[in-house]
Amino acid sequence: MEKVNVFDQVASNRRKSVLLGILVFLFLFAFVYSISYIFFPDFLFAILIFATILIIAHTFISYNYGDKIVLSSTGAKPVEDNRKYAYLINTVEGLSIAAGIPKPKIYVIESDEINAYSTGKDPKHASVAVTTGALENLDRDELEGVIGHELSHIKNFDIRFGMIVAVMVGLVAIVSNIILRSWIWGGQSNRRERGNAGLLILVGLALAIISPIIVRLVQLAVSRKREYLADASSAQLTRYPDGLADALEKIKKHNEGKMKVSEAVSHIFIADPNKSPLDDLFATHPPIEERIRILRAM
Amino acid sequence: MAISLWILLIPGAIVAAFILVLIYYYNRIRVLSNRIDNAWSQIDVQLKKRADLVPNLVNTVKGYMTHEKNAIKMVTEARERMLGAGNAKDRMKADGQLAKALKTIFALAENYPNLKASENFKLLQEQLEGVENKVAYSRQFYNDSVLEFNNLITTFPGNLFAGGRTTKEYFEATEAERAPVKVEF
Repeated sequence: MEKVNVFDQVASNRRKSVLLGILVFLFLFAFVYSISYIFFPDFLFAILIFATILIIAHTFISYNYGDKIVLSSTGAKPVEDNRKYAYLINTVEGLSIAAGIPKPKIYVIESDEINAYSTGKDPKHASVAVTTGALENLDRDELEGVIGHELSHIKNFDIRFGMIVAVMVGLVAIVSNIILRSWIWGGQSNRRERGNAGLLILVGLALAIISPIIVRLVQLAVSRKREYLADASSAQLTRYPDGLADALEKIKKHNEGKMKVSEAVSHIFIADPNKSPLDDLFATHPPIEERIRILRAM
Repeated sequence: MAISLWILLIPGAIVAAFILVLIYYYNRIRVLSNRIDNAWSQIDVQLKKRADLVPNLVNTVKGYMTHEKNAIKMVTEARERMLGAGNAKDRMKADGQLAKALKTIFALAENYPNLKASENFKLLQEQLEGVENKVAYSRQFYNDSVLEFNNLITTFPGNLFAGGRTTKEYFEATEAERAPVKVEF
């Protein structure tokens, strides 16, 4: 098996997180700039300062509280009944020891689908969430495979990047929505008055339409390779690749892709929670058959 | 002027680079060595947890398994031997016996439907199975850490910085634990 170099992966994730933060900052700044240039040219400077403060605050919040946002948006509840979930708690604790990371906080999502994800800014501030469907349908070896996969994401700092992407995707979706609406309802009269702003109007509109697509592309470019890597690391932790392979087979048979979670967080799940007709083109997850085939060959 | 500056700079840069590499390897070896010590104490923590669960189990089981005094005695004795062990090797050996004795108890429990149905017993069974896994995983982490350390100090250029450190020993499984073998790769 190819040696998985955790250090390279961690460094790359830290680098990409910073890069993405800067990119999104510039994007939002360009948004605000073109919009205020078109609609409120007299207050351009004040608006830009105000917007910069807001964007910095948002970046700070997404870094430090992104995990809370992700957890609550997926309906994850912290595990309180230690007796009822002893099985899950023991599995997570055992594999954390094997991975050499602190024990993450454990959450449960009420859903019949078999799925799981992890989030947080680093291994010391990490959470892992598992659906009730996974607890009911997976046996111990299979659950260990799934948890091992999630703990590998934590150890590799995939969670930091995934969390930032999730929160940013959510924000860009909201902002571009606002712009498109204000364009449709309030834009026409201004457009006639300020003919020379035509170029900027186009840029603003193009940003509003293109940026969600770009962010979506970032989202899917990053998560495919990570899934294979986390599968391999999980097998290294449990020393039993068939456990995860069996779990993926159950997911394939059992799941209907109807978890009703936001598209912004779909990339952090172990298996795509929403199935859509566009999956062949824009799937955030590698084909499950391929993942099973690789695990079986280990 | 320019040439004499270069003559000074180049050896200076080489020395500086050497010092940086030296610091890197010194720290890396230290970090890995500390991780091994930490992993070793983690094994002990899990063994202690297993020992702590035993009295609970014995109390729960005693009322139901009236004909299995021997098996219960074996568990209690193995636990005492483990807690009283002076060195790590004896402790591991006693723990192997404790694990075996616990397996016997759970096998015998199959004959007592009332016991098996008891919530308390179910939870204890889950906790002991959990500890069993944690013991195995803490050993695995120990061995993984040893592997990384040994690789570093025996391969080039790490071996130049090993400073007389020798490779650490792997943790070998005892007889009782060899039974449920998982796929290794």
